[in-house]
Amino acid sequence: MWDGIIIGGGLAGLLAGIRAAERGKKVLIVSEGVGSLTYSSGVIDLGDAERLMNQKSHPYALLGERVVRSAAEYFQTLFPDYWGNWREPQFVLTPLGSPRKAGLIPRGLNTQALSETHKIILMALEGMKDFFPEVAKSNLLKAYPQAEVVLHPFRVEAFEAWYTLGKPITGMDCGKYWRTASGIETLKGVWKSLDSFEPDKAVVIFPGLTSVFSQPLREVQSNLPFSVIEMTAFPPSDGGYYLYRGLVQKFKALGGELLVGSGVKKVELKGKQCHKIIVNSKGKDSEFSARVFVLATGGIFGGGIEVTLEAAKEMVFGLPPFVPSGWTNSEFLGEQPYARMGVETDNQLRPIDSASKEVLLENVRIIGRMLAHWDPWVERCGGGVSLASGWFAGEQV
Amino acid sequence: MQDYQVVIVGGGATGVGVLRDLSMRGISALLLEQGDLAHGTSSRFHGLLHSGARYAVKDPLSAAECISENIILKKIAAHCISDTGGWFVQSEEDDPDYVEQWLRGCANAGIPLREISLSEAYWKEPLLKRNILRVFEVPDATVDGFKLVWANAKSAKRYGGDYKTYHRVERLILENKRIVGVAAKNLLNQEELLIGCQVVVNAGGAWASEIAGSIGVHLDVICDKGTLLAFNQRLFQRVINRLHPPSDGDIFVPHETITILGTTSEIVGSPRENQPKEEEIRRLLMMGEELLPKIMERRVIRAFAGVRPLHREDSEVSGKMDEGREVSRNFALIDHEIHDQVQGLISIVGGKFTTYRLMAEKVADWVAKRFGNLRPCSTAQEKLLSEISEDLKKQALQLLPCAAAEKMLERLGEDAGAVLLEIQNDPSKGQMLCECEMVSVAEVEKVALDADAHHLADIRRKTRLGMGTCQGAFCTYRALPLLGLEHAKFDPLQDELKRFINQRWKGIRPILWGQQLRETELTRAIYTSILQLNGIRDI
Repeated sequence: MWDGIIIGGGLAGLLAGIRAAERGKKVLIVSEGVGSLTYSSGVIDLGDAERLMNQKSHPYALLGERVVRSAAEYFQTLFPDYWGNWREPQFVLTPLGSPRKAGLIPRGLNTQALSETHKIILMALEGMKDFFPEVAKSNLLKAYPQAEVVLHPFRVEAFEAWYTLGKPITGMDCGKYWRTASGIETLKGVWKSLDSFEPDKAVVIFPGLTSVFSQPLREVQSNLPFSVIEMTAFPPSDGGYYLYRGLVQKFKALGGELLVGSGVKKVELKGKQCHKIIVNSKGKDSEFSARVFVLATGGIFGGGIEVTLEAAKEMVFGLPPFVPSGWTNSEFLGEQPYARMGVETDNQLRPIDSASKEVLLENVRIIGRMLAHWDPWVERCGGGVSLASGWFAGEQV
Repeated sequence: MQDYQVVIVGGGATGVGVLRDLSMRGISALLLEQGDLAHGTSSRFHGLLHSGARYAVKDPLSAAECISENIILKKIAAHCISDTGGWFVQSEEDDPDYVEQWLRGCANAGIPLREISLSEAYWKEPLLKRNILRVFEVPDATVDGFKLVWANAKSAKRYGGDYKTYHRVERLILENKRIVGVAAKNLLNQEELLIGCQVVVNAGGAWASEIAGSIGVHLDVICDKGTLLAFNQRLFQRVINRLHPPSDGDIFVPHETITILGTTSEIVGSPRENQPKEEEIRRLLMMGEELLPKIMERRVIRAFAGVRPLHREDSEVSGKMDEGREVSRNFALIDHEIHDQVQGLISIVGGKFTTYRLMAEKVADWVAKRFGNLRPCSTAQEKLLSEISEDLKKQALQLLPCAAAEKMLERLGEDAGAVLLEIQNDPSKGQMLCECEMVSVAEVEKVALDADAHHLADIRRKTRLGMGTCQGAFCTYRALPLLGLEHAKFDPLQDELKRFINQRWKGIRPILWGQQLRETELTRAIYTSILQLNGIRDI
């Protein structure tokens, strides 16, 4: 018998697992996939928390300020590499070179130095996939009109084979390379080659470099006479991958068990309690029992909710999701009502019946993208809701 | 201002067909199109090159025209056509009497057919529903509307024909009830231009009555909307028709890696009413299930609709022959001198994509006669694309993956040489910008620099960029730096991107369930969160 079983191993599920394990609970995470952190460059968006806490039914409103704040602070104590706080937005660069708001960010992404400098050196590793130096340069000029932007293309011997074949160097390739011992040596050479640019008066932007969770890389950088700013990447991003890995390591170090590649096939209920799940793993069925179950299966994108032309369905417990009356709007980048679909809960995150508000399953908590009444993309609070609801569930196990 | 003998209004299949035919006969002609070539009905259909079998019972004349044009197009436009063959499938619900009528109709029209045994049928098309009684094979094929239209335009150009896209005809200019020119507006810079000509060919398709209306001439065109669905995979190897009186949702047409299910039919008020509706989609799926079981579990990536321009006589019983009206009941050539006392204006309405060349020939015959030009039509003999040299084919296969090389050669013909040279000089240009449709960076760059590429959507129509399973999620971003190549030509990048994404969204909205909904969440994450195109300026 486990104290808690978490179904879904993305940001929300892993954080819930870490918090519960830290509290001495015996926790199992069962996950079909590896979450969607690799899409996000490891940036945690918290959104306009004060406004969202006053937005009816929003998960922030449900959980309240204390939970949102505690979750953000908790995340930072877990990962001191992260910068920012829950009230003050930080700015990071998009892959297009425009600044955008973010909540908690890996330190290397902090753009503060850009607002004051008069010279920006934009490093452009030749052959890098999905990075467009000219576009980034023009967006930087727009965002920081006080500065000149110098584009600095360069090649690296380690990628010569890539160049000959015309093979794209992905952001993942780059990030991995700069973290190796030979990558760090090369990097030192690259910094030297900047001497003629008077870099001590400049700020250097370095797409493809990801220093988060890398002690050696941070050391090299701290000795430089100029600031180096990293960029978020077009997916897949190594920054997000390192955060995922960091969370998994934390969870395992605390004694948590993680079963990846395993979907829940069936659940067994007794009245309003779930007592057992049957999981298909490596071709055979296994049964697991627990006192508390946490549902963190990632909503539509994660596969936790499936929608057909007829109906929307929650895939593990068969809970009835809240389905908004509108479905889409013509402006793709604007509000899309369907995105607020999810499972409605009480303020303990237990699933409730939309009409009667009656709790449907007493020992089940709904977290992350499975919750109703929010949209990570227009509200830009994807990381925040996952942290807050994950932390809260971790406290409840 | 340059003058021409003829101005053609409308850059769909018929318009470019007329341009090519006239140019080959040495008659100077300019085609004006309000959008991009083939942006209307000529690309908004199922892409079926009819054998005529579909019309064998109801419309024998149409059937005969289709089979003869089918044979011609397979010869002259082989690079735009995939000769898949087609099946007519009779299921338990279909009327056996109709099958007998249909067999007689096909024989009369000269449509070759062969009965396929059920075991062969299920072996070759394993997804087909298991309640079928008989299967017949006919020479149906699939055709790429964009490619065919562009191939006509390029061929015409080689003969001196001209075309201008994004030019809307504002009015026709008359002197003593005789056409002397047209006034057009360049929609990209709002400039007005006047063009002198003696003849105007109104090939506006669903827009034809608006064009005639500009000089107060009444022209009846019925706008018949047809909605279609695109699935993310090739469900069948050949065209699959139901063997029953033509109805909704009874044709599956495979194209490359996708399949199109069509169509519906609804009279609408204007050619702009081309938004697919939920009830049409439900109906298509319901009817489609008669041929493909468990259709709901298949992933639909897009819904789209085209507006067929039907001529009034299409819906009447008779094919009565007025003076000035051509013979066929399927399309009509209207000489406005006879009907409206306006000299030098001819409208071509109705017809089918499969018979576009024949329609163009009839128009060109009429125009040529007017100018006393005696050269016969040669569009049925001469290939649209000049032969691609073996050397070029070899080079393409060396520099690109096989499938990508072949597709590029089909799209570009001899122009592929320039793209290959780019890749040779810089191998990174051989990377696939569009991974779904296998379009290289070098090819998109070349097309982006074409004088007639004004929007990302124009590049899409020429390269299929963004038309694959990702529906633009990844390639839209990757096309962005290419638009920066010519600053003056494209709108500010982010506006251009937003427009393109919204155009793709229009076709996704009505089919937003299952895997496509999941994919949409990824696309939203990329453009609203990672790139923040709906961005911030407050720093």
